[in-house]
Amino acid sequence: MSARTKPWVKAEQKLGFRAARLSILLSLLPVLCGIVQAGCAAALLAGVLHLGPGVAMSVLYALGFIAAAGARAYLQMQVERQNFELGAAARRRLRGSVLAALLALGPAGLRGRHSADLAATAVDRVEAMDGFHARWIPATALAVLGPALVGLAALWADWRSGLTLLLAGLFVPFAMAVAGIGAGVAAKKQFLAMTRLQIRFLDRIRGISTIVLAGRAADEARALAEAARELRHRTMRVLRVAFLSSTALDLAAAAAMIIIVLRFSPVLHGHTALAPTALFMLLLVPEFFAPLRGFSAVYGDRMTVEAVADDFAALPEAPSAVPAADIRSVAAHGVTLAFEHVTYSWDPARPPVVENLSFKVGSGEMLLLTGASGAGKSTIMDLILGFLAPQSGKVTINGAEMDTLIPAARTKMLGWIGQRPMIFAGTIEENIRFARPAASETELADAIRHARLEELIASLPQGIKTPIGEGGFGVSGGQAQRIAIARAFLKNAPLLLLDEPTSHLDPAVERDVLESLKHLAAGRTVVLATHSTMAMDFAKTIGAKRLDLDALRYASWRGMMA
Amino acid sequence: MSPMRRVLSLWFNDAGWLALAVLLALGALAAGVALMGFSGRYLAVSLLGGAALVPFGLQFIGTTRVGLRYAERVVSHEAIFRALADLRIWLFRGLAASAAGGLGFRRAGDALSRLVNDVDALDGLFLRIFVPGMSALMLTPILAWVLWREHALAELVLLPFLYIAFYLPLLAARAAGENAGKAGQAMSGLRSAALDALHGLREVKIFEAEGRMLAAVQSREAALLAAQRELVARGSALNARAFILAQAGILLAILLGFFGAPVGAIIAVMVLTTAFETVLGLPRAGLLYGQANAAATRVVQAAEAPPAVPDPATPAPMPSRNSIAFEHVSFRYGADRPWVFENLSLQVPQGARVAILGPSGAGKSTIAALLLKLVAPAGGQIRLGGTDVLQLPSEALRHRIAYLGQTTQLFADTIRNNLLLGDPNADDARLWEALEAAQMADVVRDLPEGLDAWVGEGGATLSGGQGRRLALARTLLMDAPILVLDEPCAGLDSATEQEFLKVLNNVTEGRTVLLILHRLTGVEQLDRIWRLTGGALISAAG
Repeated sequence: MSARTKPWVKAEQKLGFRAARLSILLSLLPVLCGIVQAGCAAALLAGVLHLGPGVAMSVLYALGFIAAAGARAYLQMQVERQNFELGAAARRRLRGSVLAALLALGPAGLRGRHSADLAATAVDRVEAMDGFHARWIPATALAVLGPALVGLAALWADWRSGLTLLLAGLFVPFAMAVAGIGAGVAAKKQFLAMTRLQIRFLDRIRGISTIVLAGRAADEARALAEAARELRHRTMRVLRVAFLSSTALDLAAAAAMIIIVLRFSPVLHGHTALAPTALFMLLLVPEFFAPLRGFSAVYGDRMTVEAVADDFAALPEAPSAVPAADIRSVAAHGVTLAFEHVTYSWDPARPPVVENLSFKVGSGEMLLLTGASGAGKSTIMDLILGFLAPQSGKVTINGAEMDTLIPAARTKMLGWIGQRPMIFAGTIEENIRFARPAASETELADAIRHARLEELIASLPQGIKTPIGEGGFGVSGGQAQRIAIARAFLKNAPLLLLDEPTSHLDPAVERDVLESLKHLAAGRTVVLATHSTMAMDFAKTIGAKRLDLDALRYASWRGMMA
Repeated sequence: MSPMRRVLSLWFNDAGWLALAVLLALGALAAGVALMGFSGRYLAVSLLGGAALVPFGLQFIGTTRVGLRYAERVVSHEAIFRALADLRIWLFRGLAASAAGGLGFRRAGDALSRLVNDVDALDGLFLRIFVPGMSALMLTPILAWVLWREHALAELVLLPFLYIAFYLPLLAARAAGENAGKAGQAMSGLRSAALDALHGLREVKIFEAEGRMLAAVQSREAALLAAQRELVARGSALNARAFILAQAGILLAILLGFFGAPVGAIIAVMVLTTAFETVLGLPRAGLLYGQANAAATRVVQAAEAPPAVPDPATPAPMPSRNSIAFEHVSFRYGADRPWVFENLSLQVPQGARVAILGPSGAGKSTIAALLLKLVAPAGGQIRLGGTDVLQLPSEALRHRIAYLGQTTQLFADTIRNNLLLGDPNADDARLWEALEAAQMADVVRDLPEGLDAWVGEGGATLSGGQGRRLALARTLLMDAPILVLDEPCAGLDSATEQEFLKVLNNVTEGRTVLLILHRLTGVEQLDRIWRLTGGALISAAG
């Protein structure tokens, strides 16, 4: 558990209780109805025994009973719906803030984190928080206020019975604390053990093909069974103690019941006037303990929070906004890009990836960036994109430093095509329009033509409305790259970054894609990072300057040695 | 057999424990009913001026009830842990034997995770549906007998009890079945929207789509919440209905008193209060059943799916030679999908080292899948030592081939156990040897726990390159005469890559090696190089 987990849970709890205030008050109304119902039922039963009200009054009590029961059913229904809304609002809030933080942070800030895992936090772990807000918080408040309300009613009707109930009620948390600081710790252990088994199972199921192909499926099934057996033994040892706390609740309820019956027995023979009170008390006992039972039923929801809190607390914090003071804008046409003595290191313990790098790409020029993988090509791209900030030196666009530009204005100037463009779940049109949803039909048609997508679209029965991405038509690497090119045409940014745009393509497809890129590059300032000899030749024909990061490194190493 | 029945039938192994749990639950319930009944009788008789002698019995029953409930909790949890393990192991075995064994090829990790969620949904079945349902069923005759003793008319109050315990849950299950599909669809919509936003974060930032993506996620979320809200509305309405009925039953019992059975009325009221307390949750359990039913359908379908390539009824004997031949093989992933290859031929003599080059998506990995019998060719034959692999038993075939897939699959376990998957009998010396070969020994030596260091879920504590090298070491440990390595150096820096490929030249002496790569580094010693492009193999220099 990280140091940030506890404060996170505390903050969530505070927010939850604040949001639930009205709902908690509402949930007391059915308890009140229950007290009224018990009173009416007691009076009616006394009437049955000819010890209470007459027949006329009995009719009134019966009507009271029906009215209270009806109101209680209705109110309880509202409470349940209200509690659902509490959970829904909390999930909306959590999901919104998690996604907003991740989106603000950008790809460089999330380096090394798996996007599927982050999505699981935004989807499944947020869902898992539902029980905490929709059930645990209201049940916890009700476990204190509900018995208190019933206890007050009992005190008012007969102080000795009322006191019995309240003492029995106080015994419950006391016994829980004794049976284990245990109870809580034990339940937590059981929950963690269950979670661990579930994780192991999920882990093995995900890797099942590896296990099958290694011929170890039978062994692994045996190992899983053994792990489950061992877990059961260990967990049951803990649970046998943990259940004592629930037993304390049963014991308290049974004891309260018996004491109340005995308390009235000697009085009853002489004082039949006490009969309705005695019956009332007896009927109140279940009402008194119901909220406490409700509380112990939602304990698992509290435990779930412990299991997911680490992941929430470990989310990187969103970067602070750029200080408003020195923001400036630059002309968006004819962009000159320059690095001035830029140094960047991913890890202070290791030598920087980019060290004291300076270069300049003039408006409409192309820079060819080469070097072995790990030489810093992607880091340079991320520095230009603004996903990373240099530790020293400056990255400038038309002379203005990157971080003094309004982020939206900076983004407007940048076009980017990577190794494998992201294809979103949606139609081809939606995927192209992703670059600029407001683009006109003509602009869209132009982008498609320039990217040479017409042939593909014409061959599909649904044309441009064909769904692609997850669950849709599978586009090939070359087709995906053309969609990325169409996006770049549509965005029409003056500075274009090409990060290994053809490294996953067949030579024949690569030649085609490069041809389209040539169109795209015309009139723009371009940085092309590549391994491919064909892409390098292509850059040379355009007249690109070349920056070889390996040679640079070698030179600086020689300089150090000299 | 219906899917739910199939799942329930898995519990036969633990029938003893389950029956004991149900009996204890019933005992506790009966004791609760008796406690309330006797309290009511004692009270009523005293009030009417009679002398009643029950206090001792009361204490006894009270204590018994508390004891029984404790025993019920312990036993039912013992039973549920057994049942849970059985269900999971059955699913694991089923998936291993069925088509899913090869799912790693299709990157269906998410589909498998969802399946695991379905199994979790089945967990509630026993504790929340089966035990209370069975006890309600067995409580009915007891209640009928108690009420009959008091007054014949008292049987009437059983009607609301039966309605709540048995009819409402049925209605609920039906309603939930309809809703489950809607909620499930909304959930997967939400998941894919969130994945799109995070997976495509680069594009999202560059095209300033943060707001649009957030809106897309939120609209899916709203759909999910709407489906859930509908279910909650139904559940709470059912609850209200059950509650009203229960109160009507209690009122009915009170009225009984005015028909000349005062003691019976009080007893009936007290008994019903307890009885209703236990069955009021059943309609909601019905909702749960409706959802669990949908989950059971998916789980049973996956676990009992037939293997993609069934084993022959009378398998041919395993050939002694380890040459590989693809003869005029055609393959596609579905009748509506394009051909991956048509008429592809490839010869790998025993002991040869062959590389297949080509860009991603060209079908290189499919060649491995065909050889491992994870998929069957549409035409042509694949031969191992001259025998068609379709005639060979899959298990024996896969024992011949050590395979490293394109995606690194590590397990949340120690480094040692991750390696032992390759060879369960390997001693430490052999493990270190394999780690050396995979250029991973130094990394492991630097870890404080060495071989016993924990590898997080999916290899989370290791870097991508380290994870890859560990997986390589595991593959090298498999003592198989044929080695198929699919992009073994993905994620390694170029120096490590060259070191590894050099080592590979030594450690695979005498084995048949098939390397699947997207480019060559120049240090590989190869007998033959093929280039796969446009669904055909073209011989390159070699």
